[in-house]
Amino acid sequence: MSMSAEKAQKLLNEPAIVCCRTEEGTIISADNLEDPEIFPDLIDSGLLTIPADCLKVGEVLGAKLLKTIDALTPLTPDLLEGVKATSVKNESKLDVNAKAVLKVNKKANEIITEKDLENPINFEKLEDSLLIKLTDEVLTVGEVLGKKLAKDVPALTPVKADMLEGYVAPAVEEVQQVSGIMPQSTGTLKIKIAEGKGIDIEIPLFAPQAVPAVQKKNEVVALKNDLVEKTEVQAKKEEKVEEKVVRKLIRKHYKITDVKFGPETKIEGTVLYIREDICKDALKVDHLVKDIKIDIITPDKYNTYSETIMDVQPIATKEKDCKLGTGVTRVLDGVIVMVTGTDEKGVQIGEFGSSEGILEENIMWNRPGAPDKGEIFIKTQVVIAEGTNMERVGPLAAHKATDYITQEIRDALKKLDDSLVVETEELVQKRRPGKKKVVIVKEIMGQGAMHDNIILPVEPVGVLGGKPNVDLGNVPVVLSPLEVLDGGIHALTCIGPASKECSRHYFREPLVIEAMNDPEIDLCGVVFVGSPQINSEKFYVSERLGMLIETMDVDGAIVTTEGFGNNHIDFASHIEQIGMRGVPVVGMSFCAVQGALVVGNEYMKYMVDLNKSEQGIENEVLACNTLCKEDAIRALAMLKTVMAGEEVKAPERQWNPNVKENNLELIEKAYNTKIERVENETSIPMSQKRLEKYSTK
Amino acid sequence: MLNNKNGGDKMGDIFRIYLKMHAGAPCRPVVNVGDEVRRGQLIAEPQGLGAKIHTSVDGKVVVVNERYIEIEAYKVQTDEYVKIKECDSIWEYAYEAGIVGAGGAGFPTYIKLQSKLNGGYVIANCVECEPILHHNIYLIEKEPEKIVRGIKYAMQSTGASKGYIAIKGKNQKAIERLKEAIKDSDNIEIKMLPDMYPMGEERAIIHEIFGKWLEPTQLPLDANCVVLNTETLYNLTEAVENRKPVIDKDVTVAGKLVNGLGPHVMLRVPIGTSIKKLIEKCGGIDGEYGEVIIGGPYTGKAEELEESFVTKVSGGAIVTIPLPEFKGKIGLLVCACGADEARLRDIASKMKAEVVGVTKCKNVVEVRGTNKCLTPGDCPGQAQAVMYLKKQGAERILVANCNDCTNTVMGCAPKLNIPVYHHVDHALRTMDMPIPRRLPIDKK
Repeated sequence: MSMSAEKAQKLLNEPAIVCCRTEEGTIISADNLEDPEIFPDLIDSGLLTIPADCLKVGEVLGAKLLKTIDALTPLTPDLLEGVKATSVKNESKLDVNAKAVLKVNKKANEIITEKDLENPINFEKLEDSLLIKLTDEVLTVGEVLGKKLAKDVPALTPVKADMLEGYVAPAVEEVQQVSGIMPQSTGTLKIKIAEGKGIDIEIPLFAPQAVPAVQKKNEVVALKNDLVEKTEVQAKKEEKVEEKVVRKLIRKHYKITDVKFGPETKIEGTVLYIREDICKDALKVDHLVKDIKIDIITPDKYNTYSETIMDVQPIATKEKDCKLGTGVTRVLDGVIVMVTGTDEKGVQIGEFGSSEGILEENIMWNRPGAPDKGEIFIKTQVVIAEGTNMERVGPLAAHKATDYITQEIRDALKKLDDSLVVETEELVQKRRPGKKKVVIVKEIMGQGAMHDNIILPVEPVGVLGGKPNVDLGNVPVVLSPLEVLDGGIHALTCIGPASKECSRHYFREPLVIEAMNDPEIDLCGVVFVGSPQINSEKFYVSERLGMLIETMDVDGAIVTTEGFGNNHIDFASHIEQIGMRGVPVVGMSFCAVQGALVVGNEYMKYMVDLNKSEQGIENEVLACNTLCKEDAIRALAMLKTVMAGEEVKAPERQWNPNVKENNLELIEKAYNTKIERVENETSIPMSQKRLEKYSTK
Repeated sequence: MLNNKNGGDKMGDIFRIYLKMHAGAPCRPVVNVGDEVRRGQLIAEPQGLGAKIHTSVDGKVVVVNERYIEIEAYKVQTDEYVKIKECDSIWEYAYEAGIVGAGGAGFPTYIKLQSKLNGGYVIANCVECEPILHHNIYLIEKEPEKIVRGIKYAMQSTGASKGYIAIKGKNQKAIERLKEAIKDSDNIEIKMLPDMYPMGEERAIIHEIFGKWLEPTQLPLDANCVVLNTETLYNLTEAVENRKPVIDKDVTVAGKLVNGLGPHVMLRVPIGTSIKKLIEKCGGIDGEYGEVIIGGPYTGKAEELEESFVTKVSGGAIVTIPLPEFKGKIGLLVCACGADEARLRDIASKMKAEVVGVTKCKNVVEVRGTNKCLTPGDCPGQAQAVMYLKKQGAERILVANCNDCTNTVMGCAPKLNIPVYHHVDHALRTMDMPIPRRLPIDKK
């Protein structure tokens, strides 16, 4: 398909290929040129090869074709007369944060331009060869561009402050560095700093008193944002807009070191006793439950067999009359509840993969939704009526039966006094007017069958009082961040284990935690939207999400989803609904070698992949590919970049695990922090199932 | 050199065709000043070892001397040419067409094609291992069938029973095209080679395919093989099927050019075209430059623009950034696969460095006037050489080695506190390409 004239103007640097047979004598216009967006597909199918001397769109517009050519012929100089001599230089790819090393010999009084600087690709080798040494004193590209040299400097010399004319003291340099890296909220700040001319320009913003002793970089930028929001320029640093505390949640932690069976359910010191005959009563909870038993899995039993893990749940309860999401919650440390089960015929309760097998071979420890290594599992093994594993009522029965047991523990927990509290945490939800307003949208499963969630039960991850999102028609429901973190979602989803967000995941949701505590943004809430089975329902729900976002007047959004495949349709639609309203949106999902997106739209430009597996697949290891802190950090950094109007590079055609690593390194450099990289399935023993199914070597 | 000497508006550029563009002796001109010649016409005959030379343009002969013939081309040129005569055998076509090894050595192909292989092998050298150069691969992607037919003609001529196409595994597209082109032949096979320099060296290819090292004095014939470059095979097909003499060359132009780094591949450039003109086609040189390398970064030499013209064996023109200044003492490590002593001294002087020591890799053997490596691509150890240079007072060293030897040098020089330059650095840095130093664990 040819391009419109407007589109051609945006793509002047793309290769010029004719879309149809074009006659000799034609004056080339956008009408004759193929849309570059499909080139990658054409090249992959062998229908197109772009020669090295292929001209660019900007060069051929208006030129005359010297001979008739067939469709998909690249326009090369020999075919045209009157080619525009636009100097098509290779676009500047120099990262302003890279170290500045001279590429060519320069003399005193010469200005440093981009052409004079060495491409960082060879820095490691040059350092290895002892030709350059990149210490902290070496300036960055952004800091040296446009500067004048004070003396002759040969090529392959890292540029330091003493080589430049009139360079000012390091203190201000640090500010520059921060500003140059941190996304700015308006054009003025950004341009000045990025071109390294900031110092010479008399804007009160940069006067020393506008910046507090640069300790917390975040704060500095926060200030700048505030100042810029107000149209007048303030020189005083006390000009800080107020944060508002909306609500707080206190979490009291009680340590459990031992779980035993006893005559009654109680907690004594750090020992949790579970009533020996509790299962008899749990069995009566739902007629679909045919059998239920409890295994207490201590670390020495991690190497035992288990049926598929349906859920991992914290044991937590509200104190007195507190409502979920506020007040006080009591939580047990060192122990979790694990729901596992099959139907009467032994069919695992799971779809798209299951995690039955030796526990330690199928659990990705320490993920937000997974057990932490060392914790004791109170593992229920439930048997439900034959064939009900694929219906809503089946898994729900298994969860309800387990919840009976958990509730007895909760009641025991309520009775404890404060002497046993080992840690008290305060979670605070704040609003930050004046900062960029951000909403988190979490797409959860809602297809019914065994894909369901319970929203806002009375007790954290309880059943009573909650409503399944399927029953709510899957329409968007807004929760406060604290409601999410207080067990407001009880997950019954039975999708592939690696990307499944268990109940515990929401209790420790990294994105909600990072966003809530990020002083640079104003997290206004978390919207949950279920993914219906039927296409028409998907779009009904997605459009409601779009309308909700429209009324929220947010500056940015992050959309996450668990699973992959069917729910990617909604995922794409949600991003479109948000994006088409002019809101920058970052998408987060498992999209690697498996899970590659098969639907898309023009707003899906900013994507973060949650895969952690070596091969980029659903490896059936519980929680392996779920959202972790490193993903949350990446997504927020990406969103802030987009909200500031900065550029995010397009993704590669094929899944490449290095992209994530590069992004993390960029962020570590910018914020001067270390981000821990989580482990993947290579850190746990290999199960026979994985060996057979997934090994390629 | 744009030269409208006679003032006539029929006249255009000067084409300089050297009389020695091949291994052997210079040819003897068979035209005189003032003669009008047509594209494809014979203008020089071999004397001893050599190959026929034809003009690539219609024009008038303006200079004849012992080194070259200069032709002032008519402004209007065509693609047509004077055909060579009909021949009785394939090697005769190669002789009449003046085909020589296009990969750089320039050995007269007709002699190779007379080898009797008795069921041996023809190896198509599609390796193109000089970085930056891309015209061989580009040609393969565009016209793989012609190259495959060239292989078949060579097999026919030599009596070979099997053809191998040696190509680097990384050139996926070219490999796919070749696979298509050989699908009906059951005696031609593709051999994928690792991305190393100098994988394209004849004996390196033979070692990679057959597992044995030929002595530097030996020829592929001693392994029952004949090795022919991509473009040479293409020229052979052109000669046999279209009776076309060798009058055009594929060239890669790259580097500090106004139209971008490239590589800009130019197919079928008339031999004798001034390199300056090719550079102008790419917008001209962009600002200050270091040197113009004719050939590839490893084995190419710097030439003065005014004196540089396309020959049967010049495949590259690279305009580099200026060389990095090092006003100190430098040691030179000569290698057979890369720069020789003269070239290294040339680079050292452009760096303004003082040469205090020169040594050769211990594998270098001089054969028939050129340096050859005992085991090209397989390092014999370089610690001795590096320590020698340090003893001579070298503060830094400039090496010319293949990838494997450079890796070895990196294992000892930095430990001795000696910074390392490689003679291809400035060309690769111009192109934003990685410079050779240590090898990754997985060579492929």
